[in-house]
Amino acid sequence: MQNVLQIAGYLTEHSQDDAYQTLAGYESRGGYEAARRALAQRSPEQVVAMIGDAGLRGRGGGGFSAGTKWGFMPGEPTGPHYLVCNADESEPGSFKDRLLLERCPHLLLEGILIAAFAIRAEKTFLYIRGEYGRAAVVMREAIEEAHSAGHLGPDSLGTGFAHDVVLVRGAGAYICGEETGLIESLEGKKGQPRQRPPYPAERGAFGRPTTVNNVETLCHVPHIIEKGVGWFRAFGTRDSPGTTLFGVSGHVVRPGLFELPLGTPLDELIFEHAGGIAAGRKVKGVIPGGISMPVLPAGELDVAMTNEALGEKGSGLGTGGVIVMDDSTCMVRVGCVISDFFRDESCGQCTQCREGTSWINKLVHRIERGAAAREDLGILLDVCGKLEGQTICSFADAAAWPIQGLLRHFRSDFEAHLQEGCGFDGSFAL
Amino acid sequence: VTTVRITVDGVMYDVPADTNLLDALDALGVLMREVDIPYYCWHPKLSVDASCRMCQVEVAGEPKLQIACSTPVREGMEVSTRSERVTSARQGVMELLLVNHPLDCPICDQAGECDLQDFSWRYGASRSRSKEPRRALEKRVELGPSIVLDRERCILCRRCVRFCREITGTGELAVVGRADRSVIDLQPGSQLCNDYSMNVADICPVGALTTREFRFAARVWNLKSVESVCGGCARGCNIHIDSDSTGVRRYRPRRNDAVNDTWMCDRGRLSHETITRPDRLTTSLVRAEDGVLVSCTVDHAIEHAAVALGQLVEAKGAGVIAGIASAHATNEDLFVFKRLMEAMGSDTLGVAVPMGEGDGLLIRAEKAANAMGAGRIGFGDVSALLDRLRGGGIAGALIMGSDLLAPSHLGSSEVLHKLDCMVVLDTHQSPLLRVADIVLPTRLLAEKDGTITNCNARVQRVRRAVVAPPGAFDEGELIHRLGVALGLEGFDGDYGVEAASVALSESLADFAGTELKGLPPGGRCLASDRDEGAA
Repeated sequence: MQNVLQIAGYLTEHSQDDAYQTLAGYESRGGYEAARRALAQRSPEQVVAMIGDAGLRGRGGGGFSAGTKWGFMPGEPTGPHYLVCNADESEPGSFKDRLLLERCPHLLLEGILIAAFAIRAEKTFLYIRGEYGRAAVVMREAIEEAHSAGHLGPDSLGTGFAHDVVLVRGAGAYICGEETGLIESLEGKKGQPRQRPPYPAERGAFGRPTTVNNVETLCHVPHIIEKGVGWFRAFGTRDSPGTTLFGVSGHVVRPGLFELPLGTPLDELIFEHAGGIAAGRKVKGVIPGGISMPVLPAGELDVAMTNEALGEKGSGLGTGGVIVMDDSTCMVRVGCVISDFFRDESCGQCTQCREGTSWINKLVHRIERGAAAREDLGILLDVCGKLEGQTICSFADAAAWPIQGLLRHFRSDFEAHLQEGCGFDGSFAL
Repeated sequence: VTTVRITVDGVMYDVPADTNLLDALDALGVLMREVDIPYYCWHPKLSVDASCRMCQVEVAGEPKLQIACSTPVREGMEVSTRSERVTSARQGVMELLLVNHPLDCPICDQAGECDLQDFSWRYGASRSRSKEPRRALEKRVELGPSIVLDRERCILCRRCVRFCREITGTGELAVVGRADRSVIDLQPGSQLCNDYSMNVADICPVGALTTREFRFAARVWNLKSVESVCGGCARGCNIHIDSDSTGVRRYRPRRNDAVNDTWMCDRGRLSHETITRPDRLTTSLVRAEDGVLVSCTVDHAIEHAAVALGQLVEAKGAGVIAGIASAHATNEDLFVFKRLMEAMGSDTLGVAVPMGEGDGLLIRAEKAANAMGAGRIGFGDVSALLDRLRGGGIAGALIMGSDLLAPSHLGSSEVLHKLDCMVVLDTHQSPLLRVADIVLPTRLLAEKDGTITNCNARVQRVRRAVVAPPGAFDEGELIHRLGVALGLEGFDGDYGVEAASVALSESLADFAGTELKGLPPGGRCLASDRDEGAA
């Protein structure tokens, strides 16, 4: 993982230092000071207010205000409250949380401790996806170390706050990254999202008030507590402050992780930081935030990497996983790959998603193999429309949007297939 | 109950607060009547699943369509069920449900009472836009002794899964696989063979789950449906009796939230097989001089019984004649029986209630529909009477049914040999025929009108769904005619169940307000069991 990180920032500056994974190494860099201060000197409400004022937004794809989310939790508990750390990073194109889990375990634990204090949670379930073996080993060691040192447990950091972190492994389903799907899985059930209301803050894991936060989101928390709201807001934009870990993959010279302020222009990220694309090639399209987010064509890359700016382009920041495709790419094949994924990963509860992801997949493949008629393009768009905004969770939207994006910007690729089939080389091997 | 006022398509409703929209409209009884919100996965007695997405409605102020099954009602809520957006969403769900659905309605048992078919008629397209081959899946998966699954027809509403988890607590079923590979399956090593398993076929909105009993047995539009009550035990589950010219084809539970919700047990459901059993009694019998039972007309048998009983009363007094009631008979039958015994001057009465196992759900230990009614009309436990019988203190008996032969009562017909005169009224052959002097065939509940009183003292209406064998009559009628033949006071003219019902409600304070005409559809509790102000 070491050489994945191309540009470090405050989250990742020590991540290449092996000692940073240990409690001693982390504390030698000032680790757990923020948690000590928050737990000893502030009230939960003050911590929630501070994170709210900082404008920290969730880094798991939704971009929702972390402070607001914490504020949904009831006040004085009448029973257990839970924090769930979502480490089920499974959006294709995203690999940022893995670095934090494997290289910055105590930063995450400190963030967990502060967040748990803010929402009065007695326990955190750290849900790590099944494929992240190394991350689970590292986190398990870190949790044990923190427990042994008294940083976690009945008297965390000597502040009187009782907290435990329980590590739970997923089994590889994408939908378990959706917060209520994760909660179901955590409870030992099949991972299937829940209809809201009730929201997790009202009735979440094991029927108790629960907040689910992404790994990276929690990693920002100690820094905000330590250095203040003003410091944090100096990074990024007014509505999207702070840095984030952009994961750039695909046809770039220097793929990897780039910790940069939110709002960094996409073209700067690709051409300056990621080294652009191979000589003799041109950018064709870029997926800016994991495959759920609609593709942007080459002409629309001068856009700030924020939800606001990307939203205006009909896409979104998602998890910040940027997938760059050059002009050797067949966009119909991209559609096949994307729709294969969503067809496989739909949990199958809602009619539109269960049947729609399958039909979309068959339609795109029909187009790809040159067996479709012109009317099928209209049907494809229409079916995508039926998936939008009508299901228990946003998976169905995530399955529809990228296909709509491909048709919006690369319709010519699709139309070309209608006449003579695919004219591209097998650069995007299926 | 706190209510809130909501508006649905411009009509105001005061609905219970703290409910979801579908439940609220269901509680008012307007769902699928005045208010048209189609649904598949929602069921009034199961938890919210929210997966079929068919019940989407427009709620003022909400940018997205909301699903009525899990949207809480609130004061001032304005709901539209007819907007273009709503219709288009329903069409969308229908198209996707039908993309892979087999076109086998012509051979599907659900046809005619299929929600998918019905809603397809209203929201579906007549042609599919899909060119893809339909999903091929197993057409015949035997889930248990009574239920067969057709996976191609299944729309994965998961009602059956929830039923087994939430109602029976047995959890045999699950959805296995995900996305378009999702199928209903048994948990490893299990079989769907709980006592209520056949309910899953009722709640299946399509033809995916069928009962072996009804599979390919009839087309539903050829069936006549009558609302009645199951006689299998003292619960008195409300049912539809569906029949055609060949007889009863099936029992189906009928919703009554005060009795059986929407369920019934498998044993009760299959109990109609007794109607056509070959050992049905179909003609009156009188024992001839040579000791053989000979068939005769009912008039002759009743005349014969009147003469024999008359002689016995003359010789030994009415007190030696016992009246043993059946807990399977109706309130009306039993009331007439009680009156006959009173008119003869005998107070030697009892009822033999067949007993078995009960459960905590619906099944009661009393394996007869009207044990409660018999008791309230005046037939006490039969054991004291049987002791007297064993001791030789009884010389004649009028016996309904054969439940007194159960091991917990007489165990055999032996002791009955001593009787001078024995008149048996029964539906089926039994060892009583060895000792009876006169046998009068009677009708089963599905063959007669009247009321029965369930274990919670609720008087419920049974209705004749099929025609009884020509020689079989209501116990009430036979007893009445016997009373006439005996020249007893109060017995004259023809028997009518309605008149008997009125007489019952006027004679016994407990039965006030329970006459056939005027009994509410859900039945009515006996007077001493009625809550203040409740029906």
